[in-house]
Amino acid sequence: MKRAFIVVALLLTFSGAAFADDADASKSLGVRTFTFKYKDPGKAAEIIKPLLSGDATISIQSSSNALVVTDHSENLKAVAKALGEYDAPPQAFKLVVRVVAASHAEGSPRVAEDLRDIAPKLAMLRFNQLENLGSADFAGREGDPGILTLASGYRAEFKMGEFDPASDSIKISDFHLSKVEGDQLTSLPKTTLNLRLGQTYIFGATKTPQSRRALMIVLVARR
Amino acid sequence: MISCRAFRARLQPGSSDPEVLEHLRGCDACLDHALRVDPDNFFRAIGGSEIEPPGGIDSFASGVMMQIRLRQTEGTTSHRFLVAPRRLAVAAAIVVMLGIGFFATEISRKSVPSQQAAISRPVALAVKPVVEAYESKNATIVEVPTEGKNDPQVVMIFDESLPSNL
Repeated sequence: MKRAFIVVALLLTFSGAAFADDADASKSLGVRTFTFKYKDPGKAAEIIKPLLSGDATISIQSSSNALVVTDHSENLKAVAKALGEYDAPPQAFKLVVRVVAASHAEGSPRVAEDLRDIAPKLAMLRFNQLENLGSADFAGREGDPGILTLASGYRAEFKMGEFDPASDSIKISDFHLSKVEGDQLTSLPKTTLNLRLGQTYIFGATKTPQSRRALMIVLVARR
Repeated sequence: MISCRAFRARLQPGSSDPEVLEHLRGCDACLDHALRVDPDNFFRAIGGSEIEPPGGIDSFASGVMMQIRLRQTEGTTSHRFLVAPRRLAVAAAIVVMLGIGFFATEISRKSVPSQQAAISRPVALAVKPVVEAYESKNATIVEVPTEGKNDPQVVMIFDESLPSNL
C-alpha cells in the first residue's frame, strides 16, 4: 500500500512539473516578421489586432512593406494563418446594381415583377409603388475602378476595395450615383460601403423620413 | 469418623456414602488414594453436584457462543478502525495531489490563450458598419434591423441636401 502511494505521488509530482513546463513554454513571447507582396501592412495590422493578446506589439516597416509582430507563439500562429490568407493576389468579385424609384400612393400596390424580392421590405417602409430604373453588373478585381451606366440615365462610379475575410465583406469605396438628364448632372453624395458577400442591401435616399418618394439603390456583391 | 482402613475398604468409584465422604474431607492421605480411584471423589467430598444452568444447558451454550461471536465481531471492527485512518490519509493525499495538478493546469491555461481559442477567433465573422463613410455631414443614416441572415438589409439615408429631382 505504501509503495503504491509513493508511486502515485511521484507520478503526480512529475506530471505537475510537465504541465508547468508546457505553460512556461507557451507563455514566452516570440517575434515574427511578415512581408507583404500584395497588401498594405497598415491594413494588415488592423486585421490582426483582434487575434493578439495584451502583451503583443506591432511595428510597421513601410520601407520593406513588412509587419513585425511580437506575441505568444500560439497567437503568432493564428496571425500567420490570417495574414497568409489576407496577402493574396487581388480577387475577382461581381457587383450587381439596381436603381429603383419607390413612392407611397393610396390604393393597391404597384410593383414590377423583377422587384418582388425587395417589395416586402419596402412595404414595411410604406413604399408600395416600385419602378425599376435599370440594373447592371460589374465584374472586376480588388482595386479596380468601376463605372456602370443605366439606360435610364443613372450612372454609378465606384472602386472595388479590399475583401475582408474576417467579416466576409468587400469594401466599395467612393460609390457615387449620378443622373444625366440632357445637359444637367444631378448626383448623390459619395459613400463608402462594406458589403457582405451574397447579402442584398437596399440603400434608400430621401430628404426626410416623412418623404413619400425615395431612390432605392439595391446592391449585391458576389464572388 | 471412620478409620483409614475402613475408608479404603468402603471406597468405591462413584461412592456417595456420607461416612466415606466425611473421612475424605478430613484425611489428606486418603484423599490422594481416593483421587486415584475416582477423580470425581474430590468434588463429591466438598459437596459439589451437577448443576444445570437456568433455561437448560442448550440455552446456556448458545448464550456462551453468542458472547464469543460478539467478542470476535468487536475484535474485527476494532481492527478495521485501526486500518481506516491510514487509507483515509492515502486517499486524502491523492485527492490533494490531483487538486494541485488540476489547478496548476487551469492557471497555466488561463494565463495563456489556448491554441483552440486562438484558432477559433477568426471563424466568428466580424461586424462592420454597412455605411463606412458618407460625404454629407448633415445626413441621418438608419440601418433597419434584419430578420435573418438572408433577409435584405435596408439602410435609409435621410439627407436634406439631396436633390429633389433624383
